Amino acid sequence: MPLTPFTIPQIALSDQNLVLSPPSDVNLREIRRVLAFLLDRPRDLTPGAISVLTSALVDIADALEDCVPAVSALLKVNFSSLLSSHNPFLSHSILSLYRHFSEAFNEYDIGKVAYRLQLSASDTGQKLIFRLLALHWLFGSTLLTSQVSSLTSLPGFYPQVFDPLAVKAKKLDAISVSASEGDGAVSLLEDGLVCISYFRWLPGWSTETLVAFRAMHKLLIGVMPHDGSDNGPGRTRLGSLMESTIFADLENVLIHLALEHHPLVPVIATFISRLLQCETHSPIGSRFLQTLDRCLIPNLKPGYGLSFYFPLLEKISENETVAPKGVLELLKRHMVCLTDEHGPDTGHRSWSQGSRVLSICRVMLKKHKGSQIFRPLSLLLAFTCQNFPDLEVRDNARIYLRMLACIPGKKLRQTLSIGEQKSGLAPAPLPASLIDVPPHPSPDLKKSTGIASYIHLERLKPPLVKQSWFLPVQGSVPALSNGSGPAEGGIMDIVTSVAPSSPDESNKTDSSKVAYQKEASRVMDPNTALLLRVLRTHFGCIPDYRVMPGIKIRIPCLLRFESDPFIRTWGFESCDEQTLPALYAIKITFSTLSKYGKIPSCRVPFLLGDLLKSDLAIVAVGQGNDESIEHSNFAKVFLELQPEDPMPGLIDIFINANTATEQVVSGFLRPVTIGIEDMFLKAILPPNVSDMWVSRYYSDLFDTLWEACGSSVNIGRETFPLNGGKGAVSINGKQSVKFLEVPEDVLINAVERHLAGFVVRVAGASLVKVVQQNRVIENIVWDEKEEEEDDLDVGPSGDDFSAENALVAYSREESELDVEYTQAEMESNSNDRSLAIVDKKKSVGNICVLIFLPPRYHLLFLMEIGYGSTMVRMRTDHWPCLAYVDEYLEALF
Amino acid sequence: MAGCSFRAIWILTPHHSVAFSRTFPVVERRWRSACVRDGEVETQAPLPSDLEVAAAFTDRKQREGSARGFGICVASSTPGSDSWVDDPVTRHIITLHINREEAEGYMLWPVIVHTSGNYYILVLPLVEPKKVREYRKLYQRNNCGGSVKEHDNLSSLLLSLPCITGAFMVAHAIGDLIAGETSDPEVVATSSSSAVGGLLDTLTGSIGIGVAPRPKPTSVPILASASSAATLMGSTLVDSSRTMTKPIDKDLLRGFISGSMPYGTPVDLNQNNIAAIRTTGFGSADPPPADLRQPAWKPYLYRGRQRVLLMTQETINAALYDREDIPDSFSISGQINCRAELEGLPDVQLPLIGVKPAKVKMLSVHQSAQYSDHGEDKQAIVFSPPVGSFVLARYQVSHATNPAPVKGFYQLSLVSEDGGQFLFRLTLMEGYKSPYCMDFCTIIMPFPRRRILSVDGTPSVGTVSMTERSIEWKIVTSGRGISGKTIDATFSGTVRFHPRVVNKSLSVSLSKSVLGCTAAEDSDEERESSNNSVNVEDVLMEKLNRDLEAVDLEEPLCWQAFNYAKVSFKITGGTFSGMTIDPKSVSIYPVVKAPVEYSMQVTSGDYILWNTLARSPHAAVPKDLC
Repeated sequence: MPLTPFTIPQIALSDQNLVLSPPSDVNLREIRRVLAFLLDRPRDLTPGAISVLTSALVDIADALEDCVPAVSALLKVNFSSLLSSHNPFLSHSILSLYRHFSEAFNEYDIGKVAYRLQLSASDTGQKLIFRLLALHWLFGSTLLTSQVSSLTSLPGFYPQVFDPLAVKAKKLDAISVSASEGDGAVSLLEDGLVCISYFRWLPGWSTETLVAFRAMHKLLIGVMPHDGSDNGPGRTRLGSLMESTIFADLENVLIHLALEHHPLVPVIATFISRLLQCETHSPIGSRFLQTLDRCLIPNLKPGYGLSFYFPLLEKISENETVAPKGVLELLKRHMVCLTDEHGPDTGHRSWSQGSRVLSICRVMLKKHKGSQIFRPLSLLLAFTCQNFPDLEVRDNARIYLRMLACIPGKKLRQTLSIGEQKSGLAPAPLPASLIDVPPHPSPDLKKSTGIASYIHLERLKPPLVKQSWFLPVQGSVPALSNGSGPAEGGIMDIVTSVAPSSPDESNKTDSSKVAYQKEASRVMDPNTALLLRVLRTHFGCIPDYRVMPGIKIRIPCLLRFESDPFIRTWGFESCDEQTLPALYAIKITFSTLSKYGKIPSCRVPFLLGDLLKSDLAIVAVGQGNDESIEHSNFAKVFLELQPEDPMPGLIDIFINANTATEQVVSGFLRPVTIGIEDMFLKAILPPNVSDMWVSRYYSDLFDTLWEACGSSVNIGRETFPLNGGKGAVSINGKQSVKFLEVPEDVLINAVERHLAGFVVRVAGASLVKVVQQNRVIENIVWDEKEEEEDDLDVGPSGDDFSAENALVAYSREESELDVEYTQAEMESNSNDRSLAIVDKKKSVGNICVLIFLPPRYHLLFLMEIGYGSTMVRMRTDHWPCLAYVDEYLEALF
Repeated sequence: MAGCSFRAIWILTPHHSVAFSRTFPVVERRWRSACVRDGEVETQAPLPSDLEVAAAFTDRKQREGSARGFGICVASSTPGSDSWVDDPVTRHIITLHINREEAEGYMLWPVIVHTSGNYYILVLPLVEPKKVREYRKLYQRNNCGGSVKEHDNLSSLLLSLPCITGAFMVAHAIGDLIAGETSDPEVVATSSSSAVGGLLDTLTGSIGIGVAPRPKPTSVPILASASSAATLMGSTLVDSSRTMTKPIDKDLLRGFISGSMPYGTPVDLNQNNIAAIRTTGFGSADPPPADLRQPAWKPYLYRGRQRVLLMTQETINAALYDREDIPDSFSISGQINCRAELEGLPDVQLPLIGVKPAKVKMLSVHQSAQYSDHGEDKQAIVFSPPVGSFVLARYQVSHATNPAPVKGFYQLSLVSEDGGQFLFRLTLMEGYKSPYCMDFCTIIMPFPRRRILSVDGTPSVGTVSMTERSIEWKIVTSGRGISGKTIDATFSGTVRFHPRVVNKSLSVSLSKSVLGCTAAEDSDEERESSNNSVNVEDVLMEKLNRDLEAVDLEEPLCWQAFNYAKVSFKITGGTFSGMTIDPKSVSIYPVVKAPVEYSMQVTSGDYILWNTLARSPHAAVPKDLC
């Protein structure tokens, strides 16, 4: 039970908030007397008592506002002079009176109060906290602030050299408050900052630096304070702020600081990130970053000094409103520079800087759309993982590159965010389970139909023969891909000593015959022996694709897709007009009926659509953009064939890809045609042939093969082991002719254009002259003799078939080919001479063409060029190709 | 909420244990009822125990980098910390988080921090719960910082809380008490050279209350600003325990608290008055005067021989550059100290001479005084003096009529990293005639971050001595003061240092906390950063500056970043500003015959000769003052 004096009225003790009746006149008179008594004596009271008095006065005056109107008038007389007391407690008590009875004081009085506070802030004899408080009081009241916001009172706020930094900071606040009202704010602020201008040379953590940047920040938020209530005007103010000179001047100050005083760069980054984190001011922060990207980045030089700027680069990378190109290119140059300057004592620096660069790349991966960063970032990462001196950096770069290439954007961002909490210099590689693309949602079949109409995989160079047919000759060359047959592609196993000369079924088991043949081959005339040696050398170079990597043919193709139909089908969340749709993690699988071996599937990490149609018009005008169309909107894909049977064919294409919206695109594209000329390869050169003998070797090889395929020499049963030691082949030649009725210059041009690499010898003085002049065909054997008798003697070729029906002869009877071959050979031998003689006058010369057809076949042309027409004599050890060669030759012109 | 009351006072040792605490149950009850009224349930928690306060203070120190905190928003600041509020005042008005195991923690605000004699004095004033709520909003704001243009900003909050100011007064009073200082200003009687003691020596001297004269400014450490104790208390004593901590006289403290702030509400903070009342009380010998109102701040009237002692004390802060692009700057702050030993309650009028020519700005006067400014040369202060010494008025001079007492330049050229050549050329007391007398003049070249190996060179006047970190040149030694003549002093020589030892860990940890970044790239930066500088000295300075510590906000600048010489001197016999008092025209009402003794003294504050050859800090002068 609390003790209370009995004189206290009961009403004061009751808990209820009773409604008091208005005071009677007697009460009022008493109150006035009490007030008058108190108001008369402020000078006699201690500061503590005055504080109690003033707060009591405020309460009383509030309660009796109407009844005791004279209070405020008395205040002015009795209290004003106390304000200049150097007891801050007293001053503050008096100030609170001013605050409550502002109407009692005119503007002059208020101005005097403001001036008094301004002076107190400069009073070096006063304790620091009271100087700070004086400034707070001054700016805590809008009434007082309005008195000092004019430029005339600003000099009082200029910080002095020996003002404590806290006071300097508060004075700078005052300047920015006043300055933000008018023009020339930044120059005022700069004047104010002179007192700590040496912060530029101090370390970034110095208090002076903090004070300086705080002042800039205060200026910005002074111009545009946060008040959550009015969003509307805030937005417009934002716009006007960004256009204002204050803003431009501040930007210049920042750029200058960043360029001239690199230790301040982290501080600038902190400054900007503080703005970015604020809802109201993040556009300002972004704008600063954009400006820095525009004005600072191009002025930076790669090299070790760039490390100062990493904090800023990180901020720029994090910001989605800044295009990452500039930063990435700078970093690329930086990595090149680091790689170039790497020496024995730079190991640690290379590591640390490389890791920093990668951490920026990581930020890029996380924050930016794949379409924006893919190209520059992949270049940077590719360079790094190939060339950077530090192993760890290389490894990490490779991981990032893989992630960039294989994980679609959204998923990638998620994946990278998982490692967020343990962010180090270079994050540890993520567990495989994270990188694995999770099970795809089932592809949308409806949408996937008809993708062939807008996703295209096209050959870079279309085949000469627009072939729509091809001949799957199952029986002729048994090339069973399942490997069940002992002779694949006409290659026989040596182990069993079985080397069937022909791929015919009948010969496969005829081991005794083969053994006989082998023995028989040992007794031959020296001429044939020489022939065989050349052939053995040659075949010894040809890899046996069954036991070792075979010969591969790479056909460059382009993958691209049209944006418009793509968007129509799949939809696309586009934040702006310029953004193109993209496909991620494209996997292309190939299948074919032809014997091209297993065609490895291709992966394209990322592909942008073709430019939208609306943009095409613009692109057409500006030439500068052509390059970007050329380079950015398709992917180069190589079809890698390992033919087991050199035949044209069709390759079916199946595509599997993700869209940016995580839908799955899958389906067949239009097939790609493989022509016979895709199979044309140069013969493999044995390793021991020196450069100067290359042309000679090819020429000799041509002659040898010509002869072997002509079977004037009996090597039909001879087997030649292939490289790999497990397989051997035999030569089973066929020949044909083709009469081309084209002028010699057209023919020479066509040869030079399409077959130049395969020409091994040109004979005939006039022809040699022409071909040599053209300088397309070089490094071959030039035979300038007029008479080609000798050459023809070695391999006289020709037949009595007209060129037109040559094919018919071959395809007529398969089973008796051997027989016919011999007959034809004999006949041709006899006719050849006469024909050659007849045509001799018309002849300009001969061109010998040696083409290797993988996996192990050959196609030989002997082009007897006359005036107006040319006879092409063909020999091959793979007769089915002749059918296509015929068309090919026609398509040459 | 009426008046100014305190819920609690804690005094913490340098090691953050509570050395003394006092709570005021009356005030606490008011706080509770205010909470109930405002519906603030969570703030109703009882006051923390001493242990909890100590833990909270330690915790804050860890969170905020130092006992006082950052004061300014730094990279590591987070919402819910004082530095997030981004105002230097948060180094003085702090928040404590009281964490309780059994109950939910809460926030204690505003806690006033003042340091004195290595002790932290914490005062918790009573504020309305809704003010705490307002502060919490600032404290946890989710945007980038406050501007005074917003509603409910920190400034308006502070303006509406006089009790915070009161709490600082109390904290300072307690601080002075435990440090054994008096707040009495120095008044020198010209008749006797010794300083006059404090109030009521006869009354209090016997019981050993430390009423020692204020220490002379010259004894202040060279790096601290000597002009006032305020900057000192803020900075040099923070977080350091190198000086001995004097044990607290708890009886004295308890007596002071119960006398000066009964029930937690301050009445009179003058420790002399409190001590006198406490020891002597009021006897029949001190009847209150019948005809006059005796002010509360003057509980006793003086009896004895009547006299008035006056003294003007001026401090010159100067930055001398000797450069064309930067004008030298002077600022003079002065105060008039008074000790009026007059019987009864008289009024004294003090005419001031030379106020207008010197453009004197009267900053503040004593509570009992009024400054009147009428016409060209009619400035006067009228006051009714309290007992004892007091500061009658403080003023500032922007335009001195006298020339600088020490002029000249100082050049230091760092020839190499470990040595340099220096040259002084000074002129002392040029244009000063008798009775101006320079008592002493010393020049100190501090090299706080280097250890001096040797100094070569002989000055034209005076003697040179050397400590590990500084060189001291005594031009005029006390006892041999100069008067009426000009001295030209030159001193050229070389200084050599011990090789530098870099302490990197500190700068690294600092950069981490302030910038929020790692300094892993330091090695790179060191090699590259020299590109921007042109001359050797700049390179050397930049190199030196790399491991600078950030100074506290209470310091005016990062002294260690510069080479300078600090001049200390004392001049008696006149004022620098030219403003004086004519003792003969001092009038006392009611008229009594009392001699008026007047003395004048000029001392140097931050009187700095900046190295002319290097960068030096300066401030812009507003254009209309040029």
